[in-house]
Amino acid sequence: MSSQPFEPQSPPQAPLPALPGPAPYVRLPKSPGLAAFLSLFPGLGQVYNGKIARAFVFFFAWVGSIYLTSSGHEFPFAFMIPFVYLYNMIDAWKGASAINTRFLGGRTEPEEEAGIESPVWGASLALFGVLILFNNLGWLDLERLARWWPLLLIAVGVYFVYASVQKKKAAESANEPPLL
Amino acid sequence: MSRPSFSPEGVTLGVCLVALGVLWTLSNLGRVEMLPVVRTWWPLSLALWGVLELADLWVRRSSGRS
Repeated sequence: MSSQPFEPQSPPQAPLPALPGPAPYVRLPKSPGLAAFLSLFPGLGQVYNGKIARAFVFFFAWVGSIYLTSSGHEFPFAFMIPFVYLYNMIDAWKGASAINTRFLGGRTEPEEEAGIESPVWGASLALFGVLILFNNLGWLDLERLARWWPLLLIAVGVYFVYASVQKKKAAESANEPPLL
Repeated sequence: MSRPSFSPEGVTLGVCLVALGVLWTLSNLGRVEMLPVVRTWWPLSLALWGVLELADLWVRRSSGRS
């Protein structure tokens, strides 16, 4: 009797699944870190993001706060300097991230588009320009109007309330089932 | 979806550069003093920008409707 060596039978081998290749490298259009870094000079990060209007607002809010603080209006403009400065950096970071998200096909908050569609920005820019021009030409004394600046806060507050009510109405009308 | 019309920032920047170039040339020719003119009239660029923003909005809204 001849003994044969025992050969263990291995189970049938299933073909190995193909390993996924390395994910394709996607170069994002904006770097949020660079945008925030550039915002160390207020407005420059927004310029990098292509948001010239925002850059303008941040730069003049910062310079204006410093100017008004140094000319004797410490409250509230001294508090606004760090607020504007930090918010400008956060805004640049968020702006760059939003551009990247849109580039990758994601959805971002339609806040900016809504703002662009509003005439408030253009009207306030034109009004601001005309007021300063009249002041320079001596037709208006902005120094005498300075005590009325809190009216600006009221106007901004009213605008926010109006915008949020409009947003709520739009959301409600979007969720309404169509009438049969 | 509304169509894009023009860039208000770009137009404003272009007009301001042209105006600055004209002023600077006139200043070099000794016709005007540049700095007082710029100091007085610079807010006109803001007003122009604002008006162009409103015009851009109006153009986009009207093209969106049509």
